[in-house]
Amino acid sequence: MVVLQTVLNGLLTGGLYALIGIGMALVFGVMRIVNFAHGALIMVGMYAAYFAFTLLGLSPYLGWLLSALLLFALGWLLYRGLIRPVMGQSDFMQILLTTGIWLALVDLAQLAFGADYRQINLALANAVVHLGPLTLSDGYLLSFAAAVLVIGLVYAFLYRTEIGRDVRAVAQNREVAPLMGIDVERVSAVAFALGAACAGAGGALLLPLFYLYPTVGDPLLLRSFVMVVLGGMGSVEGAALGGLVLGVAESLTGYFWTDSYSQVVDFLLFLAVLLVRPSGLLGRQRA
Amino acid sequence: MSGDRRRLYAGSLVALVLLLLVPLGVQNGYYLEVLFRVFIFAALGLAWNLVGGYAGQLSLGHVAYFGVGAYAFTLLALDLGWNPWLGVAGGVAFSLLAALVIGSITFRLRGPYFTLATIATAEILRLLVLNLQDFTRGAIGISTPQLFPAAAGDRDFYLAAVLLAAVAYAFNLWADRSRFGYYLMAIREDEETAMAVGVNPARTKLLALLPSAVLTSLGGSLYASSFHFVQPDYVFSIDISNQAAIVAMLGGAGTALGPVLGSVILIIASELFKEVFQTAHLLIYGILIVVVVLFLPGGLIGLFGRRGRRPRAAALPAAARGEEGSPRHSSSSSM
Repeated sequence: MVVLQTVLNGLLTGGLYALIGIGMALVFGVMRIVNFAHGALIMVGMYAAYFAFTLLGLSPYLGWLLSALLLFALGWLLYRGLIRPVMGQSDFMQILLTTGIWLALVDLAQLAFGADYRQINLALANAVVHLGPLTLSDGYLLSFAAAVLVIGLVYAFLYRTEIGRDVRAVAQNREVAPLMGIDVERVSAVAFALGAACAGAGGALLLPLFYLYPTVGDPLLLRSFVMVVLGGMGSVEGAALGGLVLGVAESLTGYFWTDSYSQVVDFLLFLAVLLVRPSGLLGRQRA
Repeated sequence: MSGDRRRLYAGSLVALVLLLLVPLGVQNGYYLEVLFRVFIFAALGLAWNLVGGYAGQLSLGHVAYFGVGAYAFTLLALDLGWNPWLGVAGGVAFSLLAALVIGSITFRLRGPYFTLATIATAEILRLLVLNLQDFTRGAIGISTPQLFPAAAGDRDFYLAAVLLAAVAYAFNLWADRSRFGYYLMAIREDEETAMAVGVNPARTKLLALLPSAVLTSLGGSLYASSFHFVQPDYVFSIDISNQAAIVAMLGGAGTALGPVLGSVILIIASELFKEVFQTAHLLIYGILIVVVVLFLPGGLIGLFGRRGRRPRAAALPAAARGEEGSPRHSSSSSM
């Protein structure tokens, strides 16, 4: 029963990870850019939700919308100003560029807000519900539910709207899509901004559960890579599944071993997946 | 040896002698400490450059060797009572081992996967050092043994950093001009084509990583000793990996002089800005990277005419076929 409880807790965290992972997968799938600034964008989303709560009294369970919009705009600007010039250049340059953005954003946060740990207190998030022998934290349940909602919205956007269809078309074939009259530039900007918006919403929904500080996104950056790799490159559904797997794996590691090793397990999982199917993964990357 | 090369070697030697004489004129501890950092990061950038610059493999996990050097040196001296310098040598041995393991895992991957895997391996080491508390004292950290007598500390650390940077620079010159270096550049330009002309990319990259890891490990031991303290979040911080890469990229990756130039500018700039705002060095690094990528893809060296990339790459096929007259070191011809 304790194991079931552990798995359930892992799934709840995993839902939040999934939201962060699909943001990364959108950018990777459409633009073939590994966005090293993703963790920093999550951090910005958390600060946005934090100030929405402390200054405006807006609960993160609504504030995620504000964070998502803000990050959508930031993502759009970053794409237009900085990312677009390196599209088509080597991975090396793209990784360096997004690393530069990552460092700059983290340090800007440090300058603006200091290195203090912050946290919000939501009575709602601290309560628990009992389901037979299982106990679930309301905070995790609410964040999970909201994350599922956001994932559903992203999914509806991709499969129910014109521009969403264009995004999928570019993800499938960047060379042929323009021949079909798709504006690849615009679609790339949308995909990058949407990826950032997922990071923003994810950050906001993590706020009731995590401490907030400038480098809070760094481990989440690596986790999002793990999810994208686990789920298959550029697959949004795969990344969501990867998020759930990761959440459960971490939770079980914490139970059977200790929490401090859960990230070691993440990275070992990551290396194992990369190494077991290297040709498959690279093959899809080049396609 | 062509006159051009003789001039380069003679100039480098003169520069080294002049740098070693600096402490005769500069005795101010603060200046020596800043200069120490300049040359430590020049050495780290030069070490990184062998893999990142010449071979074009964007490692963001080089802190693994830095941290292994720092910890091995400290623990061997404190727990086993080794002479600190023997501890440094032990650190080198451990770093070689780490490079063999990490290299054989990560070099099977390409592009972003390689970069991510290097970060993951460095993070695994950081988390292990953090968690194996009985052995490493965990997050508390440890005071490091002293490599130099306290009285002459600043001067000796400076001299050691200059010598380390000089050795690293010599390795870069070798990569710049030897057949082995041409193999690395061939891999950077196009791994498939390099393979087609008979280069074994996996082995060549691993061979480049070994001196790179050794130099980084020495830098880690030296830096830890000068800092008097090791702590996992510090000596295994991804910031150090990033800094090694930034130093090289800023000056000009894939050139021998680039990382030195990059380190001089980066360390002095961050020293000047430290007065203005205390924690902003990463902001400066971040902005510098973005500016270099967008406006100076060849680094600062690229501003002074296009020495470096193209002509070297064009010279490759001749070198790879082993034709007469191609520059080489006889010792490296047994690839």
